[in-house]
Amino acid sequence: MIEIKNISKTFKNNKVLDGIDLTINQGDVVAIIGPSGTGKSTFLRCVDRLEKPETGTITIDGETQDLAHIHGKDLTELRKKTSMVFQNFNLFSKKTALQNVMEGLIVVKKMKKEEAERIAREQLKNVGLLDHANHYPRHMSGGQQQRVAIARALAMEPKLLLLDEPTSALDPELVGEVLDTIKKAANEGYTMLLVSHEMSFVRNVATRVIFLDGGKILEDGTPREVFGNPKNERVKEFFTKINRMEEPDYSI
Amino acid sequence: MGKLFDGKLVFTQIPLLLKYLPVTMELAVTAMIASLILGLLLALVKIKKVPVLKQLVSIYISVIRGTPILVQLYVTYFGIPMILKYINFKCGTNYNVNGVAPIVYAFVALALNESAFNAEIIRASLESVDKGQVEAASALGMNYFQALIRIILPEAIVVALPSLGNAFIGLIKGTSLAFVCSVVEMTAEGKILAGRNYRYFEVYISLAIIYWVITFVLERVISYLEKKLRVPEDAPALLDIRDTEVE
Repeated sequence: MIEIKNISKTFKNNKVLDGIDLTINQGDVVAIIGPSGTGKSTFLRCVDRLEKPETGTITIDGETQDLAHIHGKDLTELRKKTSMVFQNFNLFSKKTALQNVMEGLIVVKKMKKEEAERIAREQLKNVGLLDHANHYPRHMSGGQQQRVAIARALAMEPKLLLLDEPTSALDPELVGEVLDTIKKAANEGYTMLLVSHEMSFVRNVATRVIFLDGGKILEDGTPREVFGNPKNERVKEFFTKINRMEEPDYSI
Repeated sequence: MGKLFDGKLVFTQIPLLLKYLPVTMELAVTAMIASLILGLLLALVKIKKVPVLKQLVSIYISVIRGTPILVQLYVTYFGIPMILKYINFKCGTNYNVNGVAPIVYAFVALALNESAFNAEIIRASLESVDKGQVEAASALGMNYFQALIRIILPEAIVVALPSLGNAFIGLIKGTSLAFVCSVVEMTAEGKILAGRNYRYFEVYISLAIIYWVITFVLERVISYLEKKLRVPEDAPALLDIRDTEVE
């Protein structure tokens, strides 16, 4: 079980996250949805401490860390337990797909090269890119790069996988392959925290959906509950707007 | 009256001058290495915005870049003996000022001078590396030093190489001023040769040829390295994975 408590983050005078609590069960796929600019990504980045929140704690495996003051060894330990998949892939451009996946294993987990390579090949095979092992990021499409990034994240065997809008920088025809890869990881039992605008995917894969707006969690429930029967007015309005886009312009 | 211009001499004294090429190169290479290390440290202070040190580094870079290398050579040439004398006086030690080889003065001055310029080149190239890659490295659990060595530097080097190559070429030519610290390198030897036969014009032509050839070769080496370090343009062939067994 992963417990996140009281995360607050302010940019200048703008309170983006206002004391957010979240408890995630093992194997849960939690999707965070909401209007843009409401701190969905910031929340994810605070959990991985890429952004420093003013307050907040995280408990993984019974170990509690203060996110506002964590540093040094504790921070490395926290980051070993989490992995991040970024919107813009952020692969290491001077390294091949295989080296990208091996990097964390060698430098952070201090693995032997042979062992790291074995795991990296396995992970690349899982995302269907073993034949691209010697390709550099610039030789791959966005979808392929994101799949390598997912392999890189999964190779670290995270207790919590964070996915920050993993498909929003991709061409529409490449979105599918990445979503399939994420779905596969979800079926393997990885615990995930996912920010996404792909509503149908969220409905499909998430075991729990959270609606975030104004720095607060407005809705929290199964996809069926949140999408089908939202209680909060703001959430209803959000879905009405989204659905209007999907409806035909006129009907006879 | 003898010949106005002794064309043959231009070439016959090149081997005599080349005897001092090792001195020139030794000075240039050691000063370059020292300046790269110092320049990287200065650049890191600026990037990490270390309080107090950051301001000191800015002043240092400003002063070094704002004064001629010739003046800096004189300052070290006269400054280091004074510092030694002061230390001897204060601590009762007995360092011999005359024991310091002239090349040390030139090395110190050139390394310090070059470090200021390299610091800015290195800073710009480090900052040109996409922040996202650094974030990805931290997210994996790397600390800044690991990310610097494994991720940032390999990419920054490609960006910095042409400018650093330029700086090195400048430094090689800068060593020709080392004679003011009584270092006998190629240019100084040229002056000595010409002092004997008054063929100054010829010797300077010889020197010009030598420096130009060195620079020309270096330019080739640098552009070769640049190509070598860059990620290849074409994608490699897909691996045949039908036979490879992955557990």
